[in-house]
Amino acid sequence: MTTQPVSLSRDLAEKQVMRAELSDVDMAVWRSASGVVSAWENRCPHRGMRLSHGFVRGESLACAYHGWHYNCEGACHYIPAHPELEPPKTIKANLYNVTEASGIIWVNAVGTVSPVTLPSNTQAVRSVSVHCSLEIAAQAFKDYCSLSPITANTRTEVVSESPYVLALKAPLPANSPTPSMQDKSNPVSVFIALQRVNQTTTVAHITASEHASETDCIALSRWANKVRTHAEVSVGSTE
Amino acid sequence: MSFTLHDYVLSGNCYKVRLLAQILGVAYTVKPVDFHPGKAHKTPEFLALNPHGTLPVLESDNTLLTDSSAMLVWIAQQFDTTHTWWPTNDAHRLALTVQWLGFSAKLTESIGQLRLHTMLNRPADAATLNTLSTENLRELENHLCEQSIRGLAFLTGDQPTVADIACFAYSALSPDAGIEHTLYPAIRGWLHRIRCLEGFLTMPGIYEAHETRNEHTAAS
Repeated sequence: MTTQPVSLSRDLAEKQVMRAELSDVDMAVWRSASGVVSAWENRCPHRGMRLSHGFVRGESLACAYHGWHYNCEGACHYIPAHPELEPPKTIKANLYNVTEASGIIWVNAVGTVSPVTLPSNTQAVRSVSVHCSLEIAAQAFKDYCSLSPITANTRTEVVSESPYVLALKAPLPANSPTPSMQDKSNPVSVFIALQRVNQTTTVAHITASEHASETDCIALSRWANKVRTHAEVSVGSTE
Repeated sequence: MSFTLHDYVLSGNCYKVRLLAQILGVAYTVKPVDFHPGKAHKTPEFLALNPHGTLPVLESDNTLLTDSSAMLVWIAQQFDTTHTWWPTNDAHRLALTVQWLGFSAKLTESIGQLRLHTMLNRPADAATLNTLSTENLRELENHLCEQSIRGLAFLTGDQPTVADIACFAYSALSPDAGIEHTLYPAIRGWLHRIRCLEGFLTMPGIYEAHETRNEHTAAS
């Protein structure tokens, strides 16, 4: 039903596997050598080991426990202890729907994956984890657009919002040598895709227009850190 | 000039020294110390060597060191012919290296202590250590995010220094203390780059980068 982000595409390189949690669903997200991304239940069908502890070999994910290899369709195709055996078709990882769009990896654990449409010409800035609910995190990012904009003496505008994505426009960076955000005719767009890890943890995956400069992106990264502090103070906890 | 390392296999601070020595291809003598459960680092014999009763201890002909950061500097200065691990010919990077060596001590005091508490039941205020560990990992994550925006792969620039080794150990071992890397993507990328360095050495809790090995590729 709900499609949510789990990572910036940049942060999952080829031959890497990572753990991600989405509304309390524990998953292993991995990218094959040729670049195919998969999101699976974080559980090896053999002995229940977390597959996020495993490793990628070519187009397969191997479990760290007994080395069972699963291909991109989730089918087990190699068991090291029985190298001659063709594993039964029933040995299969539990797959979730996953797609990559606008530099973000999106997953729906219960249905079809349909990410919010964002421009494709963006660059990855960072992912920042916040110890509060998704609603409080979203509110904090919105509050800070006027309370403490990305750069001083400017307005950061909320252009659009959905439960999982905030789109902002930021017209001015402080001391930017390349005054991209200063260019009123071509302001920087900022996209904040929110991931509900669980009721008390949210991750904000942040991207910005391609023409945002290095200085802009660093200002944005620091701003996100400030918003995090604000959001966590408002729930009276840093943990 | 080689050296002797008084070592405990599970100690992150001892591991830093073994890791740099391995990367630089330096041969040395290991003297294992029964830190747990034997508390051999508190015996009169050991205290005669190091009155602080801490590990590691590095001994060579004219040097006795009891601080792991100092050991990293000594080893790099002594054996690194490229002068990149202790970049004495670059004031900026040298100063940043010292700055992050200082930060590595904070990781030992937070994650290192929490790990001792979690693994060996050392009495500690776990909640406070957990908050401190999170603060320190966030500081590191913030910095590595900015480095990645600048296109720089390591703490002080495009090449690793002794500061990367010093900060690597307890960052990589944080799952032992109950803090996973899931929420720290920039740290995860940096840990992986260090694990891929030529001559990388593992320890219990820090594994090799399996995916970079090529031995078996199953026919699909």
